[in-house]
Amino acid sequence: MSFGKEILRLDNINKSFPAVKALDQVNLSVRAGEVRGLVGENGAGKSTLIKVVTGAYIKDSGKMIFEDKEVSRNSPIISKELGIYAVYQDVMVAQDLSVAENFFLGNQPKKGPFIDWGKMHRESKKFLEEIEVDIDVKRSIKELSAAEGKMITIAKALWQNPKLVIFDEPTAVLTRNETKILFRIIKNLRGKGSAIIYISHNLEEVFDTCDTVTVLKDGAVVGTYATEELGSVEKLIPLMVGRTIEEMYYKKEVAIGQELLRVENLSGSRFQNITINVKAGEILGIFGLVGAGRTDIARAIFGADKFDKGKIIVNGKEISIRKPKDSLKSGVGYLPEDRRNQGTFAQQDIEFNVNAINLDKVMKAGILNYKKAYEQTKEYVDKLSIKIGSVYQKVSDLSGGNQQKVVIARWLCRNPDVLIFDEPTAGIDVGTKAEIYRLFNEILNQGKGIILISSYLPELIGLSDRILVISNGMVAGEVKKKDFSEEYLLTLAMKNIVSKEKIREAV
Amino acid sequence: MKSNQRKAFAERNLLIILAVMAVYLTIATKGNFSSWDNITNLIRQSSINGVVAIGMTLIIITGGIDLSVGSIVGLSGMVYALLTSNRGDIQMTSSLAIILALGASALIGLANGVAVHKGKVPPFIATLGMMTLVRGIVMYSSSGRMISGLPMGFREFSVATMLGIPALAWTWIFLAIFMAFVLKYTMYGRNLYAIGSNIEAARLSGINIGSNLYKFYVTAGLFSGIAGLMLGTRMAAGVPTGGQGYELDAIASVVIGGASLSGGVGSIFGTALGALIIQTLRNGGNLLGVDPFIMQIIIGAIIILAVFFDQYLKGRKAG
Repeated sequence: MSFGKEILRLDNINKSFPAVKALDQVNLSVRAGEVRGLVGENGAGKSTLIKVVTGAYIKDSGKMIFEDKEVSRNSPIISKELGIYAVYQDVMVAQDLSVAENFFLGNQPKKGPFIDWGKMHRESKKFLEEIEVDIDVKRSIKELSAAEGKMITIAKALWQNPKLVIFDEPTAVLTRNETKILFRIIKNLRGKGSAIIYISHNLEEVFDTCDTVTVLKDGAVVGTYATEELGSVEKLIPLMVGRTIEEMYYKKEVAIGQELLRVENLSGSRFQNITINVKAGEILGIFGLVGAGRTDIARAIFGADKFDKGKIIVNGKEISIRKPKDSLKSGVGYLPEDRRNQGTFAQQDIEFNVNAINLDKVMKAGILNYKKAYEQTKEYVDKLSIKIGSVYQKVSDLSGGNQQKVVIARWLCRNPDVLIFDEPTAGIDVGTKAEIYRLFNEILNQGKGIILISSYLPELIGLSDRILVISNGMVAGEVKKKDFSEEYLLTLAMKNIVSKEKIREAV
Repeated sequence: MKSNQRKAFAERNLLIILAVMAVYLTIATKGNFSSWDNITNLIRQSSINGVVAIGMTLIIITGGIDLSVGSIVGLSGMVYALLTSNRGDIQMTSSLAIILALGASALIGLANGVAVHKGKVPPFIATLGMMTLVRGIVMYSSSGRMISGLPMGFREFSVATMLGIPALAWTWIFLAIFMAFVLKYTMYGRNLYAIGSNIEAARLSGINIGSNLYKFYVTAGLFSGIAGLMLGTRMAAGVPTGGQGYELDAIASVVIGGASLSGGVGSIFGTALGALIIQTLRNGGNLLGVDPFIMQIIIGAIIILAVFFDQYLKGRKAG
């Protein structure tokens, strides 16, 4: 394959966050006319890489070279001036302006002191006709559908004649037909000599669209391959996974007891016919790609969101769950994925946070006993070895790992029969992760059950007794411990996405 | 810094500011400021705003704001006056009229709460509308006239004292201590801070957001109602414009008292100090013969400085 001159080169890029090394000596080179796929598991570093290129993040070290010139200082404005254009999952255009105005934003044609509306509309219309997008240029973006808005965002990329276009999961909201148009736009861009970086979970799509594909894993580049040489998606998956499972995922064998929670045919707006059961002493893992509906299912079971139909049975009794209070009472707990927005009361102290759902134990005749509240907090702070100055310290002053431990302390104190952990170790350092896994064992020892939702496969494989794979809001399969493998789980997770693609092709 | 210490720190600062002001004014007025008469007068003058500000504190801790408090002050006083005036058609007993006046105030508070929670109307808008609406009711029901001829006992309350301290001041002190206790030691208070600091986390902790918000808005309405009756005893009449602009003093007291308009932070004691600081400024300016318009400029500047200082401390911490 022959491409043009090198557009973007990254040399040994490093980027760390307080707890994680997000990018580790990343090298990348993209040439004019090349469509480069970028794949990897959740948390492999794809988004971080893109943000470094667009200047949203500042790299720690390494060089970024754009068109033979080093970009030592980068920012979203600088990268735009260089000709780097990123299309994200959201519609990124001015909602209240018309399609034409969006194209000409900041560069409106003038007739004397006035805007030349005629010219603006004519040229925008001609441009859209060229790329065969049929949308009235006079309509404002908010009148368009999500997919049409997305098309305009993409068209605007083409309009600006960029040198490098980055697509981040561009097809998520597009219909089959619009996806076709997108691919045509990409071809058009390639023909004009732009370089393209294309990120998608849909590997089939990556294969169809890209000339080459770079695999990222744990922040490092595994390799860059020509899609023709790889030949098939199946060859790509082992490159994306295949990590050794460290000893930290140690789970003690606990005798599995009776069924604690049973969910039958639960259906809601983002999931259908979900059946789940958890027994005493067991960790049920739930795996799925981002947006597969894992969190939606957990929130419905906990009563945080409404569901359409289905049964929830706790300890053999069917219960009606309409709000979190109901599930709390019947012995189901939920640690939300989004700790900062849903878990902690950041401005309040640790005592307040730990006791948020445990006040009944420290109140008498409606009056709070601060001595007991202190003792109760201290007990769990010590148990979880949360490093703090005092239980009256504000939670916002703690590290992410300690904040998560405070939320876990809250639930350990409540001691529900089944505890749902939604991405409990996201953004948490390795040491604290190991401590959280140790706590899992303790919970299981008490004859409780755990549902563990995680995008991090080594964690799920290392700790779960069974793994339920959710794909596109449906159960794609339940995998027994002896059949655990990253390849198999990933294949299942993409099952309904791939088959939907096939259905679309058949139509 | 530990949170309790930080809160105590903010309140201690306010106490120091108040003390510095008192010392300065005592010297500048050659002792007039700290005369018993002036001090009791100052506390009496603070008490009505002080009571309104307690309710405002609750709403600001939820992350909202209540602009209707001033109109509720007017409503409560007017309901009482209309029901008891010896020149009207109805003449109820004083205690029944008090219950009805407070009931009306609580009802307006409930309406605010429903608009905010069920109606998803932003608190600023909901209570802005309610401010105008309730003032309209007060004006209409009184035809815009003062209603006098109130029962003797009611009028005497404003001049009554206990241990040399005015009954109005006692009312404020009692209510403030009571609410400070409630906020610290009961579910009501815990739920208030939980909802104010993170409404989604509060919901996931099993707290019923709606019923709690209703309670807070009803309480705010009730406190404004009580303040309305206190104003009634001072004016010895139902005044159609009574309480106009009180929302601004109440908000200023709460903000100077260290509460955060984004919710989750605030205390009754801080608010009380805020109310005292504002009144001390007015009183001192008065004694020193400062042009009242100049005083207005100073008080406005102080409100901005109080928030600026708070933000500055926060920003320094984050950086």
